Order: sequence, then structure tokens, then C-alpha cells
Amino acid sequence: MTTETFFTNEVIDLDLLPKYEDIQLSRPHPDYWKIICINLFIFFGLLGITIGILLFFVDEVKPNAKWIIPLYFALLAIFLLLFRASFKKRGYAIRAHDVIYKSGVIAESTIIVPLNRIQHIELNEGIFSRMYKLGSLQLFTAGGQTGHIHISGIAIDEAKRIRDLLLKKIDLLENPITELNPNE
Amino acid sequence: MNNDFSKPQRESAFGIIIMGAHTMLKIGKASFFLFIIAFVKMSSTSFTYLILGISAIIVFSFIFAYLWYLKFTFFLDKEKQEFVVNKGIFNRDQVIIQLDKIQQVNINQNILQKIIGVYGLKIDTAGAHGEEVSIKAIDETSAYNLREHLLNRRAATEVQSEIEHENNKTEETPFLRISAWTLFKVGLTSNYGQSLALLAAFFYTVIYEGRQLLDAFKINKDEIQSTVTGMLTIVTVFILIACLLMVLLIINLVRTFYKYFELEISEHKNTLLLSSGLIAKKNTLISPNKVQITKYSQNYFQKKMNMLNMSLKQAQFGQSKKGHEMQGNTLEIPGCNPIERDELLKMILGQKLLKAKIFIPDWRFLNLPIFFKLILPVVAFLIIAFNVPEVKPYIGVSIAYFIIGTLMIYISYRRHRISVSQDFIIKTSGIWDISNEIVMPNKIQAITTFQYQWHKGVDVGHLTLHTAAGQIHFKYGNYTEIKQLVNYWLYQVERKNDNWM
Repeated sequence: MTTETFFTNEVIDLDLLPKYEDIQLSRPHPDYWKIICINLFIFFGLLGITIGILLFFVDEVKPNAKWIIPLYFALLAIFLLLFRASFKKRGYAIRAHDVIYKSGVIAESTIIVPLNRIQHIELNEGIFSRMYKLGSLQLFTAGGQTGHIHISGIAIDEAKRIRDLLLKKIDLLENPITELNPNE
Repeated sequence: MNNDFSKPQRESAFGIIIMGAHTMLKIGKASFFLFIIAFVKMSSTSFTYLILGISAIIVFSFIFAYLWYLKFTFFLDKEKQEFVVNKGIFNRDQVIIQLDKIQQVNINQNILQKIIGVYGLKIDTAGAHGEEVSIKAIDETSAYNLREHLLNRRAATEVQSEIEHENNKTEETPFLRISAWTLFKVGLTSNYGQSLALLAAFFYTVIYEGRQLLDAFKINKDEIQSTVTGMLTIVTVFILIACLLMVLLIINLVRTFYKYFELEISEHKNTLLLSSGLIAKKNTLISPNKVQITKYSQNYFQKKMNMLNMSLKQAQFGQSKKGHEMQGNTLEIPGCNPIERDELLKMILGQKLLKAKIFIPDWRFLNLPIFFKLILPVVAFLIIAFNVPEVKPYIGVSIAYFIIGTLMIYISYRRHRISVSQDFIIKTSGIWDISNEIVMPNKIQAITTFQYQWHKGVDVGHLTLHTAAGQIHFKYGNYTEIKQLVNYWLYQVERKNDNWM
């Protein structure tokens, strides 16, 4: 490579470079949508129980029931729609030299982590994920909190395969990886 | 002499004194106002108790220091290339540092250490939580010897680095020296924000503690309040503000002198040696290729005086937000002139900055800030103003705010740009202080691009480069160009296994 600026030197090269934006992305496993729903319904179930208790026992809250209950269901519907949209938008790809993850409803963001910058890999399985044989993969870099990839809802076999593949590629096999079981 | 540090050894016995004084100072600081209150309130008979208390603290400090000294050992594991420190009085702590994870080794001397004639040595690592080791007392030869050993391995592994053949100048002679006059100028023109925060913190403690003192003295608060409000005429307010500004400037000057007095940078076997400090001399040794982001900034006054501030940011780990720890990993070099800057840049980056292609943001950059920072507050204010008669006379202020705000946002838009060449990415931004952040593509850890749904049609998007020392944002750029750049950087990062640290 010469030391000239690349725009006078490598214009042709630039167009020949592999384009990250044209990569065919793999979607999360369809079962992952069920897990999202379960989590959402647990959250809204707890919220609903709290609201129910308040409405039933606290007299001051009772007159507000006519807008609290519709608001509750509206929120539930909005969340379901938002999560559905976000679920549809997610996608990941493993390339020979990097990992790509795309997500976001309002702002569509793509994060790319080169394999030679990965510090460690984490494979998580939650309780519900386990029922559906899913897992989530996290790739950490030295870029701190924002510079890491979190891919959830991959079939566990697939996730393990990806993990082993990545580990092999980044020659990190001797370092132990952590397996956690948080409640997703 | 036991010079290779392969056997566990204690630090210098003077460490007991240093550690004891350190502990005493800590306890003293924490209970300073307690003492004052006790001193004032106490009858003379219980004076002996006070003396007893103080001596108890002293004795306790030194016992603590002695135990600490006994338990603190360190050695160098040559085979594993690790530096091992054992410490802890009641619980056994072992800190193991891999030599190639060491970022910098500092040799300091505070007043007490200067009097006794020992040095303090601090090791900054790139460990998961920025954990660091500090040896409080070590004699000079051992200190430099140890530093040599700690940094030795790295020098051996980095022979291929490009920096080496660039610098066959005379070694050890500082190529950058900041004179007192320059420091004076620096003190006048920069870091107002930090000094202001310091001043605010100072006033807060004074008022808070003052109140407690007043309670202790049983002084009538209302009396003081009425005299204070009586003094507040317009003239006195102006005098007060002028005084505050003066104090601010003086604090700024003192701070600058304290930190950067006799700042020198010299080159020492592929590493940069920075030394500075008025009372406590601080020596820092860093290797240029561990610097992740190099930044220089300049405001209007500084431009007129032909000087600029530089900072070298090193890897920043852990969950700590932008705060104290961040500063620990940033080396500031105030008041260089452009020639010195170029010299330093050449040393850190390995080559000169070249002409580059510049990317500027779209005008939509202006939309969000203008709406949220100007239109929304001004409209809210106007609505209040037209309903509350007391606020009405201040409508002029909101107009001035609007105009100044628009101007500032416009300036920030004009300054916001990124220039890219084969070896560098330079991000320019700022309103008053215009800063240039320089990153080499091989320091990139990850790249994020994102785009709002409604910007798809106009092809506008954003870019974030994640590095180990923070992020670089470029907003509202041409998305096609951004994608092209990303592909290019990915190619650069992935093509070869460059060390980023």
C-alpha cells in the first residue's frame, strides 16, 4: 500500500470491497417470539395484579378506573406491536471476519464487530429460553458498554456452533467462557 | 543487590511513615469539622480528652501502617510474565498483573516522600476494572529499575512497530517543554468548567459545614441572613460577580501551575516520558501505540496566542461512567504550539497527518437541537409569560436566548465534520473549544451505523466508532458514504491482525 490518500488511490477498490449492508441476515428463531410474549405477559400480569389490588382496595383510585383500565390495555397492545416490529427487524450474520447485528424500529442500527477485536464470548440461557431450546450470545469488545453485540433468540445448537466457530476463529479456545442462567 | 525483583520483597521501611501519614490524613480530613466543633464547644477540662483522641488516631494509624507494611509484598514472576502483589491486613489479597497488560507506570513523589527521599510507584493496567497497584515507598534506583523491568518485555515485543525507525534523534532530551509563561496563558484561557465545578463544590461544603458550625455556636441565623440581604444591592452584586470571576481565574492558574509546572516530554526507548508537577513531581511513562485517541483542542483566545491543548486517551475499561477514572486514563498536555503538536502527533501516530477527504453533515443536523433546545423551551416560556404578568418583562431575554442559541447550534453544525485518510480518522467538533480527535483505523473495536426511518428517503444516517477509549460520533452524514467508509474500515481492521494495544 502506498501512503497516498485512499481516495486518489483506491477508488475502484472501495466499490469492490464486500458490502456489509447487502448481507443476507439470519432471523431469530420463530420460537423467540413466544418468549418475548411470555416475558411481556408476566410483566403485564404483575402490573395488572397491582392495579387490580389498588382499584379494589383503595377508594381514592376507584373513580379513575374508567381511564386506567383502557390505558392498561392500550399499553399492552402498543407494547405487543412494538415488540413484534422489533422482533421482525432483528437479524444477524456471521462473516468470515466479523459479526453483524441489526435491530431497531425507529432508528435502524447496525453494529459490526470484527472477530479480531472480540475480547470474550458469553452464551446465556434463561429459564424460558431453555424450554424452547434457545440461547442468547453476547460478544464483548474493549469498546465498553456500547461496543458489544447481544444476539438473543438463537437455537441453542446453532448458538453453540456459532460460539465454537468464533472461538476457533479468534483462537481463544484456551480461555474459559462463562455460561450464565439469568432469568431472561 | 536484589535487582531483578524475582523474590517477594517488601517495600522500603519508610513506607510505614508514608502509609501512617496517609491514613492519618484520611481520618483527619473526614473528621476535620468534627474537631473544630469539639474544640469550640468543649470546656477546658476535657481538653486532655481531645489530646488523647488525637494521639489515639496517630497510634492507630501507625499500627495500621506497620501491619500493612508487613503484609505488603511484591515480586516479578519472570516465567509467567506477571507482577504479583500480596496485600491485605486481615484478608489476603493477591493482585496479579500480566506484564503486557500494563498501560503505564507512574513514579511520583509527594512532599513527605520528597523529605524522606523515597518514591511512589503506580501501575495502571488495562484490567477489567481498571484495577491498579500502588507502591507507596521505594527508593529511587529500585523504582526506576522496577519500571524498567515492568516495561521491558513490551519493548522487546514491539520491535517491529513503525515508530522505532522514525525516531533516531538524540535520546532523553525533552522535545517538548512548557514554560511558566505558557502555563500562565493556559491558565487564563482554558478549563473554566472544571474550576467552576471545583468552586461550586467548595462553596457547597463551606455553606453546609458553616451551617453546622453556626448551629454549634448557637448564632442566630436570621441576623446573618438579614445583614446579607441588606448588603445585596446592584453594585455589590456586580462587585461580587467580578470577585468570583477573579477567584475563578486565580484558581484556574493555581490548578494549572500545580499540575503542569515544568511539563516535559521526552522520548525514552519507544516510550514517551511525561513529567510535571509543582510540589509533587509526577513521572508518567506510556508507549505511544497504547494511545487510542489523540485529541487537540483550541479556542478563539488560544488560536490568537498560537497554542493548543492536547490530550492522549488510553484504553478505558469497566463500567465507570465518564468521571474521575476517565481522567486517570487521559494525559493532558496544555499549551503546545503547532510545531510541538505535529512532533507529538508524529511520535504517537508514527507519521504525519495527510490531506484527507472531508465529510460534512446534512442540514438536518440542525433540526432536533433547534426544536428541543430552542423552540420548545421558548414556546413554553412565552406561554407562561403571556399568562403570568410578573414574567412578562423578561420576554426580551427569551429572544436573546433564541438568537444566541441558534448561532451556537449553527456553529456546532459548521464545525461538525469527519475527515478520513488511509491511516487516520479525524473528527472535528465544538462550539467554543474546537477539538480534533484523531483515531487510527486499527484502534476501532466496533462500528455502529444507524438511521431513522424517516431519513431513509433522503439518505441521511449516523455513525459511531467504538474504541477502547470512548466513542466517536458522526451525525447526519450521507448514509451511502458512511456505508462505504464502514466497509473500508472493516477491510482495514480485518485485513491484518494489528495490535490495537
